[in-house]
Amino acid sequence: MKSDHNKLNEVTRRLFVERMAKSAFGLSVLPYFSAQSFGAETATATQGKPGFGKAKAVIMLQLSGGLSQIDSFDPKTGASKGPGTAVSTKADFQVSSFLPQTAKIADKISVIRSMTAKVGVHEQARYLMRTGFEKRGTIVHPTFGAWAQNYLGPSHATLPSSVCVNRPANHGNGFFPATMSPLPILDPDEGLQHAITKADSTVMQKRLSLLSQMDGKFSEVVNDPSIAAYNDFYESTLRLMKGKDLQCFDLENEPAELREKYGRNKFGQGCLLARRLVEGGVRYVEVESGGWDMHKDIEGGMEDRGAEFDAAFAALISDLDSRGMLDSTMVVVATEFGRKPSFDGSGRGHHPLVFSCVLAGGGAKRGFVHGASDAAGGEVAKDPVSVGDLHATIAQACGLPIEKAVVSPSGRPFTIGNKGKPVNAIFA
Amino acid sequence: MKRTFFLFVTISALSSLAVVAAPVGKNKGKGRASAASEEAALPADPTPSANFSWHTWTASGGEKLEAKFRALENGIVTVEKKDQVLARFPIARLSAADQSFAQACKLAQPRPPLAQSVINQAAARLDESVNLALKTTNTAANPTISDSIFLRRIYLDTIGRIPTEQEAQAFLKDTSPQKRSNLINALLNSPGYTMQMYNWLADMLRVKDDYGKGARAFLYEDWLKDQIAMNVPWNAMVRDMLTADGKLNQNGAAGFLLRDAQMPLDGVSNLLTTFLGANVSCAQCHDHPFANWTQHDFYSMAAFFGATDGYHEDVFRKARRLAKSEELAGMGKLVVAQVLTANAYNLVDLPQNRLKFPEDYKYKDAKPGELTVPALIRWDDTKKNNLSYELADPKNAAQLRNQFADWMVHPENPRFATAIANRLWKKVFGLAVQEPVWDIDDPSLASNPELLAQLTTHMKQAKFDLREFQRILFHTAAYQRQASQIPEDPQAYRFPGPVIRRMSAEQAWDSIVCLVTGDAGDHLLLRRGDDMRNSAIDEKEMTVEKVKAVVAELQKDGVKMKGGGGKKQNANPRGIAAFYEGGRPEFRSGLLLARASEIQQPAPENHFLRLFGQSDRMVSDSNTTDGSVPQMLQLMNGPVQDMVAQYSLAIRSAKEQETPMDQVNSLYISFLSRKPNSDENTKALAALKEGLRLEDIAWVLLNSREFLFLP
Repeated sequence: MKSDHNKLNEVTRRLFVERMAKSAFGLSVLPYFSAQSFGAETATATQGKPGFGKAKAVIMLQLSGGLSQIDSFDPKTGASKGPGTAVSTKADFQVSSFLPQTAKIADKISVIRSMTAKVGVHEQARYLMRTGFEKRGTIVHPTFGAWAQNYLGPSHATLPSSVCVNRPANHGNGFFPATMSPLPILDPDEGLQHAITKADSTVMQKRLSLLSQMDGKFSEVVNDPSIAAYNDFYESTLRLMKGKDLQCFDLENEPAELREKYGRNKFGQGCLLARRLVEGGVRYVEVESGGWDMHKDIEGGMEDRGAEFDAAFAALISDLDSRGMLDSTMVVVATEFGRKPSFDGSGRGHHPLVFSCVLAGGGAKRGFVHGASDAAGGEVAKDPVSVGDLHATIAQACGLPIEKAVVSPSGRPFTIGNKGKPVNAIFA
Repeated sequence: MKRTFFLFVTISALSSLAVVAAPVGKNKGKGRASAASEEAALPADPTPSANFSWHTWTASGGEKLEAKFRALENGIVTVEKKDQVLARFPIARLSAADQSFAQACKLAQPRPPLAQSVINQAAARLDESVNLALKTTNTAANPTISDSIFLRRIYLDTIGRIPTEQEAQAFLKDTSPQKRSNLINALLNSPGYTMQMYNWLADMLRVKDDYGKGARAFLYEDWLKDQIAMNVPWNAMVRDMLTADGKLNQNGAAGFLLRDAQMPLDGVSNLLTTFLGANVSCAQCHDHPFANWTQHDFYSMAAFFGATDGYHEDVFRKARRLAKSEELAGMGKLVVAQVLTANAYNLVDLPQNRLKFPEDYKYKDAKPGELTVPALIRWDDTKKNNLSYELADPKNAAQLRNQFADWMVHPENPRFATAIANRLWKKVFGLAVQEPVWDIDDPSLASNPELLAQLTTHMKQAKFDLREFQRILFHTAAYQRQASQIPEDPQAYRFPGPVIRRMSAEQAWDSIVCLVTGDAGDHLLLRRGDDMRNSAIDEKEMTVEKVKAVVAELQKDGVKMKGGGGKKQNANPRGIAAFYEGGRPEFRSGLLLARASEIQQPAPENHFLRLFGQSDRMVSDSNTTDGSVPQMLQLMNGPVQDMVAQYSLAIRSAKEQETPMDQVNSLYISFLSRKPNSDENTKALAALKEGLRLEDIAWVLLNSREFLFLP
């Protein structure tokens, strides 16, 4: 700890205040890690870690409501079979007939069929998948983007390091500073709205100067970290407004044909936006797709939502690959949990015991299946992978230190992936 | 929409009677109207006497309506029409004579608000409890807040918006020693209270326009607003939600259970955590690792809803087939779905409980797939002879839901009163006595268990009247103290004052609406449920002809068949402009100037409300107050900024002032509810001299931390 104290001198005062503020806000004391000092450590740590640091960016596709593994990446025959059938792909594994486009790019992805968790309730499960930790009443854990930013620093001078598409920014920074929370884009078609000010720059300067004088007084009297966090958001917003990279958010710059290929819906356009953002220098993009809670009418659901996902996912993988970005971008298909093997002719209930996720690119093998469920699709048959393991795997791909603990004020250590073990077999 | 008289809103006779007259005691069937008992001196009986005779009401515009007086609460008059349908409207819309008549009717009701002395005593008891905890932990109470901070805080907490310039001036000039108390009482009895409470409940109950595939929950939304407007006690309201029958397009109260009709187990989990603070969500799938509840407990509770059917897939499939049919192709799938899908949501009770333990059940206390038996959970501290557990007839399958509801809302239920009291304390103080509000299984973990017990007692004494309960909280000295930082450990917080809060998304939006149009928004009430009843079609009658007839009828009534749901339709605010009572809201800078409770639920995705953290209404209590870059862009450059600069009453009013100093003064009062200090005055005047306009000063005030945060 002593050395950490010394290092504090190197931190700018603003950062220090921000961190103190955050710790006072009740969530965590931040470890001292500058990108530089961390870099020195990682040089020795890389040896013997498959895939370490191959991924420069992560695109997380979050299917909210719970993807039915049997009707997507882990098709079954017999009693568990749903409305779809198993079809062959370009790789030597099958997927459900609801994913015809995905079948054509199966040779570029790794499927994990042995995901397992305990949480079968939406909110808690979504939280677990986003953070790698179970939800507690007393602490908020960061999402992957904030962990990465904590260890690696900002990914771009003016663009945010994390963006979330089709969802608000909650479950974001966790116990890291609020400025590490993702920038939310609720409608990818509209991109980042109102980034350009109508007032001329001198007027804007004068306004801002008056504003900072006023706010200075208020913040002096009402000293609160949540207010300080707002001050920081104003700063990053002004930086972003001045930067030259705003067109990353604008899908109008993409050819119409490509936009069609991704699908003219929120998820499809969200995936395309994710690719643009990663190209521009954003490190972590989460794209959410809602409506997967198919208790009833799984057939109709997969015909609608499933088809949207299928087209967008396949387009994203091919697009990244053709641009030479797939090897440095890890695409994750995540869900809340799986769905029950018992099919009542209409839908399926929640089933966390076994489900499927996908990793593609960023060092993951191409055309690979890791783990297996049993014949019915009800339990893990081989190589169970927890959500923490999945996070640890992604972290290793991004070159983050999965053993290194961040210590909270109450002395509780946290590691990315919550001590999960990376799935080394998945790396090429 | 049907505009019979004054655009009166209607709710079905069945649900309205159930609502108003629902007996709270046990052994009563659902939907049965019976005279409310008047057993106690304290007010808040669920219903006023319905024996007022017929009266011809006259609106200020001359329209007439024959109806019986039912209630006057929060500046809203509720009447019952000849067809037994309820209607409600702002009292300000009545002729002067009828305003007096309504007031007289109200006075004749056995339901006055709590006497001021009762309120003061109750508040003093809470203060004793808070002060004792402060003393024991050697914590100093925060200083009492100034009038201007109190003013802003109480407006936001009671009616959900900042005061207008005039309202602020009036209070600041008032020299009465009781002025704070007077203001609390006046605000709690004004229409904005209904809107503010609705927003709070909508987040908690996950109120949503669209239940999927075109099914709209507008009647439920209207019903909730009716409950708040009539100040129906919480226990009566919850009981009605749990015992309602019928379709989404028939009975507003049914909307609560129908919200989770496709996933009834999640629904049970939601209602137990929300209404009782029972942390059962994990027990749905496995024994809870920390809490008491076992999966067996969960299924035994869920069994009370095991005879209830809410979602009817056969009806949905029929609707879907019709929507896809050639003959209706010209009408558009969405239109057909909108008319038909709600019919698949229908709460009915089957002859018996059908809920079985899951196939993967792995504990010894039941076999997988075995039929569940209804049984009520008990907490560790629940006494054996607790009265709420005396169910009438647990074997009576047709009454399962009623039995559950009787137990749940019983004053002696071990958690019901505590859960809502704890939530309301959080609403008022920014932090609950016991956090998180969805887990109060062990009340000894509260930051101040004695205070929590005291709150529970007050809630019962107020007979679950949420408005009177809040009146007590607002009168405490603890509420009127400076706010503290949010503590690191909620359990260690002793409430030296409330905690610092950012305005909720709804408060921020409603305050901006207030800057632009003053208090006009408080009188614009969105009503979209009335026409839904036309689309309640029996399954057997679901034919092409019938659909055509219903759509024609709806269109004749001026109902826009798209809009109010879906993605892009939802984003067009003009779609709902025809559905207001009390006038038509203005459009400015592409925004509809109505209060947050009176627009789409939730607001469209890129709306100011959503950017500032309004819940998507998927999960309970998920409004957030975190910052984000798009929020800053909204305030700096967005349509909200544009609207304030170009159209606001606040700037117009400032411009009417003669001297620059008075102009700055006026802006400060409008935006921050206070006068500028001399330093601020000097700086603002200097800025004006350097070429900034009043619009620029307004920009600064809107973007200031002080605008968004409540110290």
